Amino acid sequence: MVDDRRFASTWQLLLDSICQTMGRLDPQRFDGPPVILSSLPDLPYTRDGRDGPAPLPFIQGPPGRNIALAIGLRAALPRTPLVLLMNADSVTLGTNHLIHAARRNIGLTVLLLRADLTQHEAAGTMDRTGWGRPAYQQALEGPTRPLDWATALEAALVGRAHLQHPDELATLLTRALHTPGFSLIGVTQDETLPTGVLSQCDWPEYFSAYRDWCVPLRRADASPAAAAVAPRPARSVARQEWRIAGLGGQGVKLAGTVLSEAAGLFEGLWATQRGDYGSATRGGPSMVDVVVGSEPITYPNADHPDVLVLLTQAAADRWAGRARAGAVVVVDDDDVRRCPPGALSLPITALAREHTGKPIAAGMVAAGCVAALTDALSLDAIALSIAANMPAALVAGNLAACQAGHAATRAAQQETSACPGS
Amino acid sequence: MSTVCFMHGNEAAAEGAIAAGCRFYASYPITPSTEIAEILSGRLPEVGGVFIQMEDEIASMAAVIGASLGGLMSATATSGPGFSLMQENLGFAVASEIPCVIINVQRVGPSTGLPTKAAQGDMMQARWGTHGDHPIIALTPSSVQEAWRLSVRAFALAEKFRTPVILMLDAIVAQLKEKVELPDAPPQVQRPLPTEPPARYKPFAFTEGGVQPLAPFGGDYRYHVTGLLHDEHGFPTEDPALVQRWWAHMGSKIDQHLDEILEWEEDGLDDADVAVVSYGATARAAAHAVTLARKQGLKCGWLKLLTVWPFPEERIRELAAKVPRLVVAEMNLGQIRLEVERLAAGRAQVQGVHRADGLAITPEQIVAALQGQ
Repeated sequence: MVDDRRFASTWQLLLDSICQTMGRLDPQRFDGPPVILSSLPDLPYTRDGRDGPAPLPFIQGPPGRNIALAIGLRAALPRTPLVLLMNADSVTLGTNHLIHAARRNIGLTVLLLRADLTQHEAAGTMDRTGWGRPAYQQALEGPTRPLDWATALEAALVGRAHLQHPDELATLLTRALHTPGFSLIGVTQDETLPTGVLSQCDWPEYFSAYRDWCVPLRRADASPAAAAVAPRPARSVARQEWRIAGLGGQGVKLAGTVLSEAAGLFEGLWATQRGDYGSATRGGPSMVDVVVGSEPITYPNADHPDVLVLLTQAAADRWAGRARAGAVVVVDDDDVRRCPPGALSLPITALAREHTGKPIAAGMVAAGCVAALTDALSLDAIALSIAANMPAALVAGNLAACQAGHAATRAAQQETSACPGS
Repeated sequence: MSTVCFMHGNEAAAEGAIAAGCRFYASYPITPSTEIAEILSGRLPEVGGVFIQMEDEIASMAAVIGASLGGLMSATATSGPGFSLMQENLGFAVASEIPCVIINVQRVGPSTGLPTKAAQGDMMQARWGTHGDHPIIALTPSSVQEAWRLSVRAFALAEKFRTPVILMLDAIVAQLKEKVELPDAPPQVQRPLPTEPPARYKPFAFTEGGVQPLAPFGGDYRYHVTGLLHDEHGFPTEDPALVQRWWAHMGSKIDQHLDEILEWEEDGLDDADVAVVSYGATARAAAHAVTLARKQGLKCGWLKLLTVWPFPEERIRELAAKVPRLVVAEMNLGQIRLEVERLAAGRAQVQGVHRADGLAITPEQIVAALQGQ
């Protein structure tokens, strides 16, 4: 049966302790009254017929989730005291959040009520944690010791207080609130348990430290708005589809970026780039589709490519047959032994090694091949795009690789060095 | 003035969030949405915001709610498996009317599914994923430009209507790179603030078709927030009369503003004998297919959904009354087709073009359907 009197008195004692802290908080550090977060059943959530605002700002979040909710609240309200009242929900539903809050040491204070304070019908089934374990659980689970967890995870402050001594509880709570980081206070009415601070850890306040440690991956001046673009006057270019396929590690995706940005940004055309990849980043099949034209691109896949550059035998076997009638297929003679009929066989990887020393520049040679086979792109635009997409030290070598691919393609077309069978 | 740049859809969604004024982001990284977290981990500190990687998506959604209650415009991003975990706290945000934006970059499901492959299979999860009847807003960009614009719009709608807004990208739009034009001075979304004194503030006022501005928590306006159904002050109630007023409020705050919330684009419908209804990346294949089919002399057009929830019911009813055949193309097994069939109610024949194997629907597939094959 619900013991309303007993529970109401628990709540009143807790509220009394929390209210006692209000006069003791350092005004240099704190603004406003404590915000309370809890999902405890049977707290006096009703307004008791009173009108107007709530006595304390109170969030009754989903059981167990209040800890995670409070982390967001802390980010928004760095100067507001945050107090969580929790029972078994924090060590069942909320265990993961409790552990990570302790680990992160974000500034929160959790008052964890032992089962002896939250006796009601639900407690019997909720408290399977050693905090009043039902008999059927005892054979399955050892006792849960959340104060030990928090200590092991170096929470800023771990302590215990007796509910029947509200002044002591208020003193410990005030200390916890002033301690930067995460505090966990077990609240009990068991006089045999030791009270006071059980563990304290000197730990940087998480959010300030996090901001200091957080290294922006890209500075503001490298954000997307930074590319200096001078679109050329519009000219009419019919939709063209290009596909480069090979292996991860051959620079395929970068080639797509260089080509699509050259067309989209530096030629003033519309362009899309779509990569396809599996779970492996290197060594697995890698492919990029670029579609360009003077009209906005609708369907972004190069299902019927006008230009296909195939860097491996597997790519040649899979894709050569997909080319549109009249398309140009280029293959890398380094790996492609069974040359598709009519394809241009060029030393793509060899040129990459020659100009950069690395096979990863094969993609740049391939980009040069594409540029040689389209009227949509100038080498000037490609040079600007290469410069915009890699560190300055790498630009010259990659540009040379790209130009070599361009020159080799033009030469091969004139010499009709196509594979037999065309 | 605007700046032309080249980016992918995830980057556009992230930059749209920054432009709108999002200053808190919590998530757990997951393919194919990870770039959003990666970009915001750098961009948010630059603008004085907070980025945090949480222990899971349950916690991410909870932290977003906390930060929004504290006054920060807040967002998270995920993909199907994480979106499933978010449903519990998403429901809390719906019930307690806390504005927030959830970006769901759809991959093939259920479960771990095909992690790197595109799908549009979470459309009904966006509508009904959390339990209980509830209003929701979901937007579906089909291009990188739209990903940016609808990201900004998601925050505007979330703040205006105090509701979670779900930005439904698919992995194609998320990872497609293309040219976008970004305004140099985008209009920042402003959260409205209450004007009445704290003593008279009703944080959950039952205003027919209206929304009470949300006061930042922890300030002068003290109030109670709960996932229990509540009265206008936020205190739990089981009074059926109050609960009915709550439902009326929740429904009307969206239903009375459909003109503002609904958005779609269409072309070629005036003389069409057949039209394709689509959204997201598939709408691009649809537009391409209509161009190809028109060249073959077929009178056809397309309608692209930009707001998918609430659904543009009136427009689809009109379309079904005027165009005898409707094709619904989507990378799932027919989630939106069922909606179109419901609204067509037999007046137009409805045919689906569906796939959920990780590949994009091709223009040829749609042309065949337009031709009645």
